[in-house]
Amino acid sequence: MSLAAEAFVSQIAAAEPWPENATLYQPLKDDQILLSDCASSLAVQTYLRMCNLPIQVSFRANAEYMSPSGKVPFIHVGNQVVSELGPIVQFTKAKGHSLSDGLDDVQRAEMKAYMELVNNMLLTAELYIQWCDESTVAEITKPRYSSPYSWPLNHILTFQKQWEVQRKMKAIGWAGKSLAQVYEDVSQCCQALSQRLGTQPYFFSKQPTELDALVFGHLFTILTTQLTSDELSDRIKNYGNLLSFCKRIEQTYFQEQDRGDRAASSSPRSSKGPL
Amino acid sequence: MAAPLELYCWKGDWGLPSIDTDSLTVLAYAKFAGAPLKVHKIANPWRSPTGSLPALKTREEGSLSQPSKIIIHLRKQKYNADYDLSAKEGADTLAFISLLEEKLLPALIYTFWLDSKNYVDVTRRWYAENIPFPLNFFLPNRMHSQQLDRLRLVRGDAGLEASDEVEKELYRDALECLSLLSQRLGPHKFFFGDSPSSLDAYVFGYLAPLVKVKLPNGKLQQHLTSLDNLRLFCTNILTLYFPAEGREAPSRKMSCQPEGSDFDNEPNKRRNQVLSVLVALGAMLGYAILTGIVSIQRVQTQEALESSPGHGHRDDDDDDEE
Repeated sequence: MSLAAEAFVSQIAAAEPWPENATLYQPLKDDQILLSDCASSLAVQTYLRMCNLPIQVSFRANAEYMSPSGKVPFIHVGNQVVSELGPIVQFTKAKGHSLSDGLDDVQRAEMKAYMELVNNMLLTAELYIQWCDESTVAEITKPRYSSPYSWPLNHILTFQKQWEVQRKMKAIGWAGKSLAQVYEDVSQCCQALSQRLGTQPYFFSKQPTELDALVFGHLFTILTTQLTSDELSDRIKNYGNLLSFCKRIEQTYFQEQDRGDRAASSSPRSSKGPL
Repeated sequence: MAAPLELYCWKGDWGLPSIDTDSLTVLAYAKFAGAPLKVHKIANPWRSPTGSLPALKTREEGSLSQPSKIIIHLRKQKYNADYDLSAKEGADTLAFISLLEEKLLPALIYTFWLDSKNYVDVTRRWYAENIPFPLNFFLPNRMHSQQLDRLRLVRGDAGLEASDEVEKELYRDALECLSLLSQRLGPHKFFFGDSPSSLDAYVFGYLAPLVKVKLPNGKLQQHLTSLDNLRLFCTNILTLYFPAEGREAPSRKMSCQPEGSDFDNEPNKRRNQVLSVLVALGAMLGYAILTGIVSIQRVQTQEALESSPGHGHRDDDDDDEE
């Protein structure tokens, strides 16, 4: 999003209340969405639920191309479109909904740092596994990513995306890593998160923040997704407090809210399935 | 350890032990951990064992290039600056390094490589002056396009160019990152307790070039100067751990000199002049021979001797006009 547009958005946003028909767009849940997109989408949904903002989820095969930044998910609120968790957090803040107001300066710095840790390591590891690991690419990524398109577009788009991700991996120095090293990085990241969480219910004591939403989105998606090997989810299962953290958020924000409000259609449980 | 490990890194300038972020990080970590390294400060990446700088030559794992790998290797050799950190502090280290990579690094690349004024006046000039002779013609350009590619890919924006909008966006992230770091550091000397750790090495590596190098377009530096504790943090590390470089700092004159003096300062001026004259002469001669203005006679002496008594049956001299 450009700066001018952003300034405009935050001005307008402050004036309008959160509409009932706010919509979140993501790729098709059952046979298109990939691990990393699913995780980001779940993170945004969790964040909005934590803020108590109602959102409808809409599944579109071309969500990636509808998004202003080319990344999913994005939300459509009133007449604004915002993509990715960071800008969405700013957007809701402008509307007066924030989860991190109670933190002091140092805590806020740490929260931002841990969010970057998740983006830098977990998200990159997910991308690496789904686009650079041969067997995952052949068995899961290619069929799913190309499912909405017919020949020859399915091959072209998949190849283009794969090439782009691999170039990115090269640029950030991940191209030379082996799968084992990537798993090792994931372990390291989970260990850091686990240490930080300790025995608290949320990362910053009693109240959830956007960091909790982001971590939950990624960990829960990895735990409930069937990949070619269970190595990735096994790495997370070593950390008991992260598992109970996921369970707690799922119960508080998905099961209980769904029970109270049958209309809300998307429980993260339903994201179970092959990737 | 019998022989010390060998570290190759970019050489220093502007009062810094090295001008490169990654090299600075590794050097600072080695100092903090007290690792006895044999440091080669060079300006020719082709002389490094991995083809890029920094590089650590090890016996067991070959040569390592990435700072994180080098630090892990030093840690395995019992040179550990993070020994006193609690598990939670170790986790914080990892998180803040990610913050630096995601938020500050793109803005740094922009400042040094994409901003055209800084790139032409300082970055390219430094590399062109310091990289040895034939490489200095193409290595700076290649590094430039690598950095540009990297920024484009990280941002997922294929048509990225230096523009106010991109700059504002990157600098906003970087400014946020700098103030977060400043808040985290507070009034302390180092990030965790009284002794420096790997996080201090990383932060130093990222910030020291901004503190020391004087850039014509210094927007990012202005942000940094307003954060006193971060600036102090860098100068402290410089005076405590790199006292030798600190003393050289004022003697060296800084970048923005008028164009004329630039040529006079060139170290190999005489050699370059002779070389260019030779090349020009060679080219002229080659052209002359190829087009037949001058032709070379190999027959001359012998044939001349033989043919002079008995009258020559053919007259070669008629063919070439002088």
